[in-house]
Amino acid sequence: MFTPETNDQLVIAGRPFNSRLMVGTGKYTSFEVMRDSIAASGAEIVTVSIRRVEINAPGHTGILDALDLSAFQLLPNTAGCRTTEEAVRVARLARAMTETDWVKLEVIPDAKYLLPDPVETLRAAEILVKDGFTVLPYIPADPVLARRLADVGCATVMPLASPIGSGRGILTRANLEIIIEEATVPVVVDAGLGVPSEAAACLEMGADAVLVNTGLAEARDPVRMAAAFRDAVKAGRVAYLAGRMPVRSHASASSPTRGVVRSQEPEVPV
Amino acid sequence: MQLNGQTYPYRAGLTLHAMIADLGLRHDAIVVMRGDDIYKRGIIPDVPLEQDDVVEIVRMMQGG
Repeated sequence: MFTPETNDQLVIAGRPFNSRLMVGTGKYTSFEVMRDSIAASGAEIVTVSIRRVEINAPGHTGILDALDLSAFQLLPNTAGCRTTEEAVRVARLARAMTETDWVKLEVIPDAKYLLPDPVETLRAAEILVKDGFTVLPYIPADPVLARRLADVGCATVMPLASPIGSGRGILTRANLEIIIEEATVPVVVDAGLGVPSEAAACLEMGADAVLVNTGLAEARDPVRMAAAFRDAVKAGRVAYLAGRMPVRSHASASSPTRGVVRSQEPEVPV
Repeated sequence: MQLNGQTYPYRAGLTLHAMIADLGLRHDAIVVMRGDDIYKRGIIPDVPLEQDDVVEIVRMMQGG
């Protein structure tokens, strides 16, 4: 039986993880389904958001009571922030809430495509790194931006495969390949992955991890889909380590080319 | 005073703990920002509030 390397861990900011699948907590129909899906996914890194309490609807504690905080590395996001100033403020609130200095930095000015603002993201990342945060920025699949963010001290880069929640799969492959090839920090492909094969493809390309939310939460059976993503991510990683065959423009026979039983002589190689 | 972007009825002697109690919130479920000061979840001081204070009270929610 094949046994993957036991020391093949994902390491982010010095912290090792056995799972290369990160998951979100949004869009589930209930906390129970969310909990079961996260458990089935095997994820160790889980994203959450920070929001104002509703002044006229007391008693809600949000997701706090639905998650065993000690079981996960929480990754609070700055979703909804449109500027550096907003993102830095929410990151500081998130740190006071979660007692982790990890933050998934999102600075997104546009609600239709939810594409990150690269200039504001870089500015916010510089401020947050200096303030002691472990910054995981969500970014367009731009190799130059990825390099700049790594240079200012980000713990990872999280380039998008396609727009958030779109389920369109990997539309940015060429740039993702460059980001992965040039990376000095772990590359986490985030956003747009709809099915496990797309997650596996990211890992096969050499991505260090993927982050999935809607692909699980909007599946007909989120718990089952979470398990499928878990297995796909493992398979993709092992395939990457195994090294893929070369791509050829022509066929290459798998059966012996000599000794074929033919009705005509002379024998010629097939 | 402002709370979460809305006008909040200030009253003389109002403190942060009194406001949190009025809102029916749990100290261990929220973070408070008053001006530039951020108070951590579960260790929120009972500071007196001023009429011109700008307060944000947030909680952890689902997200991706």
